[in-house]
Amino acid sequence: MRTPGTGQTPRGARRFGPYTVVTRLDAGIPAHTPVPEHRFIARSADGDRTVLLSSPLATADPQRFMAEADASRYLLGPWVLPAVELAAPGEQAWHARPYLPALPLPVALAVHGGPLPERTVRALAVALAENLAVIHGQNLTHAGLCPSAALIGADGPRLTCFGAVRAAGPDGAPRRESAGLDPGSLPPEQATGGQPRPLGDVYALGATLAYAATGYTMPEREELPPALRSLVTRCLSRDPVHRPQLSQVIDELAGDVAPSGIPAGFASPTRAEALLGPGWLPGRVVAAIVHQSASVLAAEVAVPAPAQPSPPGGSPAPAA
Amino acid sequence: MPTPLTHDDPVALGPYRLLARLGSGGMGTVYLARSAGGRTVALKTMHAGIAADPAARTRFRLEADAARVIGDRFGARVMDADPLAKTPWLATEYVLGPPLDEAVESGGPLPEQSVRALGAALCSALGQLHRSDVVHRDLKPSNILVTAYGPKVIDFGIARAIGDDRLTRAGAAVGTPAFMSPEQAAGQDHDAAGDVFALAGVLVYAATGRAPFGHGQAADLLYRVRYAEADLSGVPAALVPLLARCLAKEPGERPTTEQLAAGLHDGSGEFAEHLPPGLLADIGRRAAEVWRPAPPRLPAQPVEAGHDMVTSPARHGASRRRFLAAAGGALAVSAAAGGGVWWYRGRRAVPAGAEKKEPEQTRNLEPLWENNGSDLDVFGWGLLAPYHANGSIWLNLHAIAKRLDPSTGQLQEKMPFDTDWWQATAANGRLYLLDTDFTGNGRSMVIAAWDEKQNYIHPTSTRLEAASAEIMPNQLLCISGDVAYVAVGYGKAPEDKGFSDSQIWTLRAADLRTGRTLWNKPLPKRSGKSKRLHFLAAKVVGDRLVTHQEPADGKVHIVVRDTRDGTVLWDEPYDADGPDSLRSGIAADENHVYLGGARLRALRLSDGGQAWALRSGQAYSPPTLHEGVLYTVGEGAGLTAVDAARGKTLWTETTAEADRAYTGWRPIVGTRYAYYKNGLQLRAVSLSDHTTALTFRTTAEHFHTDTRAGLILGVDPGLISAYPLK
Repeated sequence: MRTPGTGQTPRGARRFGPYTVVTRLDAGIPAHTPVPEHRFIARSADGDRTVLLSSPLATADPQRFMAEADASRYLLGPWVLPAVELAAPGEQAWHARPYLPALPLPVALAVHGGPLPERTVRALAVALAENLAVIHGQNLTHAGLCPSAALIGADGPRLTCFGAVRAAGPDGAPRRESAGLDPGSLPPEQATGGQPRPLGDVYALGATLAYAATGYTMPEREELPPALRSLVTRCLSRDPVHRPQLSQVIDELAGDVAPSGIPAGFASPTRAEALLGPGWLPGRVVAAIVHQSASVLAAEVAVPAPAQPSPPGGSPAPAA
Repeated sequence: MPTPLTHDDPVALGPYRLLARLGSGGMGTVYLARSAGGRTVALKTMHAGIAADPAARTRFRLEADAARVIGDRFGARVMDADPLAKTPWLATEYVLGPPLDEAVESGGPLPEQSVRALGAALCSALGQLHRSDVVHRDLKPSNILVTAYGPKVIDFGIARAIGDDRLTRAGAAVGTPAFMSPEQAAGQDHDAAGDVFALAGVLVYAATGRAPFGHGQAADLLYRVRYAEADLSGVPAALVPLLARCLAKEPGERPTTEQLAAGLHDGSGEFAEHLPPGLLADIGRRAAEVWRPAPPRLPAQPVEAGHDMVTSPARHGASRRRFLAAAGGALAVSAAAGGGVWWYRGRRAVPAGAEKKEPEQTRNLEPLWENNGSDLDVFGWGLLAPYHANGSIWLNLHAIAKRLDPSTGQLQEKMPFDTDWWQATAANGRLYLLDTDFTGNGRSMVIAAWDEKQNYIHPTSTRLEAASAEIMPNQLLCISGDVAYVAVGYGKAPEDKGFSDSQIWTLRAADLRTGRTLWNKPLPKRSGKSKRLHFLAAKVVGDRLVTHQEPADGKVHIVVRDTRDGTVLWDEPYDADGPDSLRSGIAADENHVYLGGARLRALRLSDGGQAWALRSGQAYSPPTLHEGVLYTVGEGAGLTAVDAARGKTLWTETTAEADRAYTGWRPIVGTRYAYYKNGLQLRAVSLSDHTTALTFRTTAEHFHTDTRAGLILGVDPGLISAYPLK
């Protein structure tokens, strides 16, 4: 069934509410890499606003997806992209936030041509851990972290796919087979239907870092760089009690880096800033991020015909 | 850096809505703009007034063509253009990366591998241009944007097809002295090998932060480019032999772009991997920041009355200067392309009272306004003093008289005429100019006056029979009373409209009331190669016509003639610090003519005999005479006041910092202060206590006064700036 304000534009570009899709964010992601939601770079009809837009996979429950998007609006921390605009009730599910040039972590590896350098992984780890700690301080669990949920911007990572685990299935039902969920990043206790808890995020963080450092979420211990080996392995413990606290992750990876910045709101002093300085990302990855920005700057979307209120269930006006 | 739109910026040009300003100058403005489909571009415009000049319009169109020739990979992709619109515009890709000069200034010299990768990519870019028979002619750091995928060459304002001389005005030395080729500095043809020379200069700059021939006055630079050895100190040793070959004075000895590229880099790896991390991070930051929302348009502001305020709104001096400097031929696309933080400060209206509460700043003050008139012609035929007439400042913008609004520095678009600057002068409250005499055969000249009310040029009855209107260096020296003094050429104008060996030149005096020629005296012949006008300055004192005359290129004499019959009464060489410093004017009274140089001298107006001389072992700037006192800048001593009648030093400024005093221009004297350039400051020295009262940031080399508007106008090749005259 078609819902108002969605559907195909005359030239075949996809539309969500006021937005027309410019390109898929996950174009270029290696085949068979799970992505918990559809993600697009999209633009408003007047051409003025460009956004990162997410919509649920066909197998997900759109209402639960929207409930998670709504909750994500309150997420704090510098390395997270909360939704700022949500589909209207009754509309096809989507949510959006202002566009920022960024690559999904698997694309960054593909561009770089393999695992990322240890310096990059270390900075990524501290930034993600710091932001997860902020989220946990808000009494929330991310419950959706996996390699493709981590976007890589030139200045640092951004967490997306908030609540993908909860959206994928209600507590109590096994989630391992859910489409879009990355089995390698899914904490065992949640895979069997358990309620997401903070230490589950630590497992997902370990899996994401393992992927960044080796290309796999569940690598052989020896594949991990020696400096990260013990920590990542402990994050990936099947039993949550053996996983480190986020503060321990931060201390181990940013041990001698002094905290910087003034605490604001729920944010603690950050040690990630110092690790995300010039050179934190390989040149090719920066170049690919810049290239995306330049392409989106230059992109033109088909200008939709002047908005005409279409009757519920009706088709958009045909092309002139 | 982008700034908000002002209230009078258009809403849209062509299909593009304007979002913000990226840069602005005398020629036009560059905007950040967006199409209906959301494509974001740098939109470069040319003021409708300038576009009325067909040559400027052609130049604009050629720039778009050249940008297309270089292509998307090595240039800013041309999205769209309308060179025929009332306000012509050109939409290009918004390039994500800093200009090379900005990159080096903020991050320091580049490491060797970056220089090699940059050089090899620039060789490919130039190769592409040269294969299409286009030479760039103005390659310099500010015209090269460093992106993550390689450099992009922009600003083709003066690029031209090889052999295409449509836009070449005789002697209008184009290009940037610091990166010019010797052949270009000599006014000769600059071809592909000239671009290789410039490229090597750019690479020396990238590797050391310094241009190979240093910096300084245009005239000095041009000299060093032609005759001095390039300074390669600090260049990585492995690059020295290669770059030295590129910097050979003889074009034939330089390598081709292919040879240079092969010597620089093997092409391995991606460009981004060869960039230093800081520069790459800056590029990444620009890629994100362009997505921030555009600042709101500024409301209309009441026009400031007068120029009492010396504090001007805070501005990012360095970056502003950078993109002003980038304005080579037409406009600064580099600013355009720069990207970056939205700049809210700087143009905000400051409430009237708020200004006073701040502690009064007296050092490194900003100019009242700046206008990057881009082609201020300080070399070649030379810049004469701007002057005030009919409420406007008239000055020389790429060799053509244009006018500015004294309160804002904005170009006034109403363009009554195009005339070569040295063929116009203000007198008797009117503007006179040399015009083609259409009542005759259309090849001789008449002196005309501009009637502002009717915006019409009235020929006077003063015809200059037999003189050829087609020769560009014809010169209207000055008008005193009803007598006009004109240097006129007879004979054929060569292709470049300049001098030729077969021409005959005279200095004529003509009565504007009767149209009669009073006298006509021969002037020295000029070689066809000369790019120097006959006269640098002229002034009538009593019945003497005093001139700074250049009888041969680079040699200046002070020549005094009898105004009644043109007889040369006396003639003395003037050993000044470069001839162009003598464009600042003539210091003379009914008794003496005053000269700077190795000594400060007074020569008797009657016979040229020396009345007095001051010897201190220092050089002196050309002096300024003001109410019986002679003001001069002494090398290492600063401002010095001398009794003009007796040659006795009255006072010397009290300062510990006179070692950067600039003697290449005369001081400007107001009622409270005398001004001169010291380092990169225009210094105001109090006439009462002889200490430095104020300093202003300046890059200008020449300074002129506009007493009616109460302004000092500072001029350098890319910029005119205004300071309060008090």
